Amino acid sequence: MAANSHPESHYGAEMWVFPVASQVTREVSERTSAMPMAFGIGLGVSGLLLGLGIIGFVIRAMSDGFGAHGPWGYYAAIFSFIFMVTGAAPLAASIFRVTKSHWRRPLTRVSELFSLIGIFNILLFIPLMFVLPAFRNPNLTPLAENELDLRRTIWFEVPIGATAPQWLDLLGIACLALCALVILWLSAVPDMAQARLQATGFRRSFYGVLAGHWHGTKSQWLNQKAGLALLGAFYFMLLVFMQFTISSDYAQSLIPGWKDSIFPVIYTLTGFQSSLGLMLVILFVLRRWGGYKNYIGISLFWSASKILLGLTLLWVYHMFAFGITYWYGRLEVEQNILKYLLFQSYGWLFLANLIFSFFLPFLTLLWNPVRRSDWGPALAGVFVLIGAFLFSWRIFVGAFNAGDVYNIGLEHVPAFVGPDLWDVLIVLGGLGGAVFIYLLGSRLIPMMCVWEIKEGAMYQHMGTFMRGRYLVLAKPE
Amino acid sequence: MQEGRVLPAKEINRDLLRSILTTPNWYWVTVAIMAIIVLGAMSAAGLMINKGMGLTGLNRPVMWGFFIVNFVFWIGISHAGVMLSAILRLSKAEWRRPATRAAEVLTVFSLMTAVMMPLIHTGRPWRLVYWVYTLPFVPYDFARGIWPNIRSPLVWDPSAIFTYLTSSILFVMVALIPDMAVLRDRTTGIRHQAYALMAMGWQGTPRQWKLQIISGILLSALILPVFVSVHSIVSWDFGMAVAVKSWHSTIFAPYFVVGAVHSGVSAVVFVMILLRWIYGWENYIRHEHIDALGRLLIVVATGWFYFFVMEVIFGFYGREADEIAVREFQFTQPPWNLWFIFFTGLTYFLPVSLWLFKWTRRNLWIMSIACISVNIGMWLERFLIIVPGLAQKQMFTFTWYTYAPSAVEITIIGGTFAMVTLLMLLFSKVLPLIPLYDIKEGDMLKTEIKIGRATVPAVFRED
Repeated sequence: MAANSHPESHYGAEMWVFPVASQVTREVSERTSAMPMAFGIGLGVSGLLLGLGIIGFVIRAMSDGFGAHGPWGYYAAIFSFIFMVTGAAPLAASIFRVTKSHWRRPLTRVSELFSLIGIFNILLFIPLMFVLPAFRNPNLTPLAENELDLRRTIWFEVPIGATAPQWLDLLGIACLALCALVILWLSAVPDMAQARLQATGFRRSFYGVLAGHWHGTKSQWLNQKAGLALLGAFYFMLLVFMQFTISSDYAQSLIPGWKDSIFPVIYTLTGFQSSLGLMLVILFVLRRWGGYKNYIGISLFWSASKILLGLTLLWVYHMFAFGITYWYGRLEVEQNILKYLLFQSYGWLFLANLIFSFFLPFLTLLWNPVRRSDWGPALAGVFVLIGAFLFSWRIFVGAFNAGDVYNIGLEHVPAFVGPDLWDVLIVLGGLGGAVFIYLLGSRLIPMMCVWEIKEGAMYQHMGTFMRGRYLVLAKPE
Repeated sequence: MQEGRVLPAKEINRDLLRSILTTPNWYWVTVAIMAIIVLGAMSAAGLMINKGMGLTGLNRPVMWGFFIVNFVFWIGISHAGVMLSAILRLSKAEWRRPATRAAEVLTVFSLMTAVMMPLIHTGRPWRLVYWVYTLPFVPYDFARGIWPNIRSPLVWDPSAIFTYLTSSILFVMVALIPDMAVLRDRTTGIRHQAYALMAMGWQGTPRQWKLQIISGILLSALILPVFVSVHSIVSWDFGMAVAVKSWHSTIFAPYFVVGAVHSGVSAVVFVMILLRWIYGWENYIRHEHIDALGRLLIVVATGWFYFFVMEVIFGFYGREADEIAVREFQFTQPPWNLWFIFFTGLTYFLPVSLWLFKWTRRNLWIMSIACISVNIGMWLERFLIIVPGLAQKQMFTFTWYTYAPSAVEITIIGGTFAMVTLLMLLFSKVLPLIPLYDIKEGDMLKTEIKIGRATVPAVFRED
C-alpha cells in the first residue's frame, strides 16, 4: 500500500486513503492549468505525428482512390484500434460507478476524458464509408457455383440501399461520441462549478458555460447521478452494438465464408481489455510523474488489475472456443480461414498477438506482489495495448486483403500484406491524433474527478478491528 | 444499505442449527413424497433398461431427447455454486454470505443428478466401462481393438464433470469445517463422533482460520477454470458436430456458460426464498440479499441475451439453405414457434422486466415467479437447441422426423427434480445450509460512521 503522506493524515502509514477535501480542489486546479515541459514535448510530438498521418492519408487517397478496399487495410486497422480502445474507455467510469467500487474514484475522469476522442473516431471513420464493397455482386456470372449475388453481411437482404450500412455505422459512431461527451459533461459539471470560482480569463468563462446553473442542490445531485447511471447503461448497449457492426461490416463480412458468431464478442473483449490497460498506464504516469500520488493509491491498481486478469483470461477463452470449433469441424473453408488468420499468412502476427494479449499480461498479473504494485498492472497494460494493436492489424488488414468478397468461401489462403510508407504514416498519425486530443483535453478538464474524490473522502474512516487499524467504508445506499 | 441487526453468536447458532437439531412435522412428509417420486423414476428407468429404448420417444433422426436436455439443464444449475461462492468471495461481495452454502450444495447435487442422465440415456449403463476404459477383463472391446476415442467431446465430458464434482465437494467440505466443529460441540453419541471426524480437530485457532481462509481462496481460484470448462465441453458435444445444422457455432461455449450461470443463480435465489420461508430465516436471508442477487441477475440475463442474439444472427448470416430451413422450423413452424416465444419470454423478457424495479426485487413472490420462469425458459432453450436441429439432420425431407417424449421419459425427468429436492432436504437435516461462521464474520465486520449529521452503515475493509 502506498503511504498516505498528507500532513493532516491520521491514518496508518500502510493504508492509502484520499487527501482531505479541503486540499483536493486547490491541488487539482493547479495541476490542470500547469504546463510542464514533458507535457509540452508530448503535445508537440503527437501533433507532429498527426500532421504526418494527414500527409500519409492524402497520398494514399491520391494514389489509390476509394474504389478498392485493399489498400485501406492499415487505415481500417488503426481506426479499429483507436475506436476499440477509446470507445470502451469511458465505460469504465460508468460501470465502476454502478457497481459502487470505492477504488474507482481516481479512475473515472481519466476514463471519461476519452470521450473527446469520439470526435476523432467520427472523422477517421468517414473515409472508410467509401471503400466498403457494394452489397450486390457487380460481376455475377450466371449459374456460377461459387459466387454470391449478395455478399454476406449482418444486414442480410433488407432493402435499405447499397450504402445504408455505412451511414448506419456513421450514425452509431456519432451517437456514441455524443453520448460519451454528455457523460463527460454531466460528470464534470460539479467540478466546473467549483473551478469557475477560482479560474480567470478564458478558463473562467469556459467553466462557467459548462457549469450552467449548478449550485449543488440535493435535486441537482440526484438528477446528475441518475443521469450518469442511465446514460452509462445506454452507452454500454450502444457500444456493444457498434462493436458488433464495425467488427462485422469491416472485418468478418470481407473474408469469404467467415461465419463466426464469437468474433464480435472477442472484438468487444479486446476493447474492454485494452482500454483498461491504457487507463492503468495513464494512472501509473499520473501517479509517478503527474503529482497525483496522494490521489491514486495502490488499491486502485490492485483492484483494477484483478479485472484486467479476468478480461485476459476471458479473451483467451473466447479465442480458444473459436479456434477449437473451427479446427475440429475440419471444413475446408474454416481450415483456410484458420490458416489465413491464425497459422500461415498472419501466423506470426497471431503468435505475437497471443503473447501480448494473453501470455505476458497473464504471467505478469498472476503474482500478488506484482498486482499490488503500480508498475506491474501498468506493464500488463502496455502488453495488452500492444496485443490489441496486433489484433486489429491481423484481423483488419487480413480482412481488407482476403480477395473476392462475393465468393462463397475462402478457396485458397491469401498472402500476408505488409505496410508501405504511407501506411506507416497513417498508423502513426492515427495514434498521434488520439494522444494529441487527449492531452489537450486534460489541460481543460481536471484529470481527477474532484467531487467523487471528496465524496470518497467522506465515506471512509479508520477504525480499530481486533488489534489492527483498518479502513472503514460507508455503504450509504 | 445494510439491513437487519447484528445478532449475537449464540442466537445465530440457535437459529441456523434449528433445522438440524429439531425436526418439524412437515419435514418427514415432504421427504417421503420426494422419495416416492424418486422411486417411481427409478422404476421407470429400470423398466426402460429392461425393455429397451423403444419405451422412449427417441427415434431416428432424433436420438437425443429429454434425457440429454435434462443433462444440460442440471449441469447448468450446477454453475450457481461457483458463480456465487467463488467469484463473489474473490470479489469480496458482502451480500454473498447467506447464499454461498446453498449454492455450493446445489452444485454438488445437481451435478450428481446430471451425470445420471447420459447413463440412463445409453439404455445399457453397464457399458459405461467400454466408454471410459478398455480393461483386460472386459473382453469385447479389447478383443476387437476398440478404444475410447479421446478426441470425442463425449469422452471429454465425464473428465470435466467428475473433476468439477470432486472439486465442488472439496470446496463444500473445506467451507463446512468450522460449522462441523460447532455441531460436534452440540451433539452426542454417534452424531457427535461423525461431526468430530469431519471437523478434523478444528479448534478455531488463528492458524486454523488462516489455513481455512487461504484454502477457500485458493480453491475459489482453482475451481474457476473447471467451472468454465464443464459447460464449454458440454456445449462442444453439440458445437463440434458439423452434420447438425445450427449446432456448429463458435459461440456455443460462452453462450452455454452464461446460460448456465443465469439458470443456476436463479435457482439459488428460489432456494434461498424457500429456505427463508420454511425455516424462518428472515434475519439471515434478507430483502437486501435478494435485491442484490436480482441486480446481478439483470447483468447475467442481459449477457446471456447478447450471446443468444449473436448465435441467432450468425445462424442466418451464412445464408446456407440447410441452416435456414432449421431456423425456420424453430421460429415459424408450430408448435416450435410457440415454444420459442415462451422460451424467450420466460428466460429474458418477463424476469428482467420484473427485476428492473427495486420494489419488485424485494417482493419475494415476484422474485420466486421470475426465478422459476428463468428455469422453465432455460430448460426449453436446451430442448429447442437439441431437438429441431436433429429433426432436420438429414438431407431429404422424407427423413425428417419430430420427437415427443414418452411417459417413461417424463417420469424419469420428474424424478430428477424430486431427487435434488430430496438431497437438499437430507443435507439440511445434517448440516447447516447457511454458513454460520460466514454470517458471524459478516456481522463482526459491520460498523457505522458519521457523515455530517447522518449515521451511515459501514464495513471494515482490508484495502
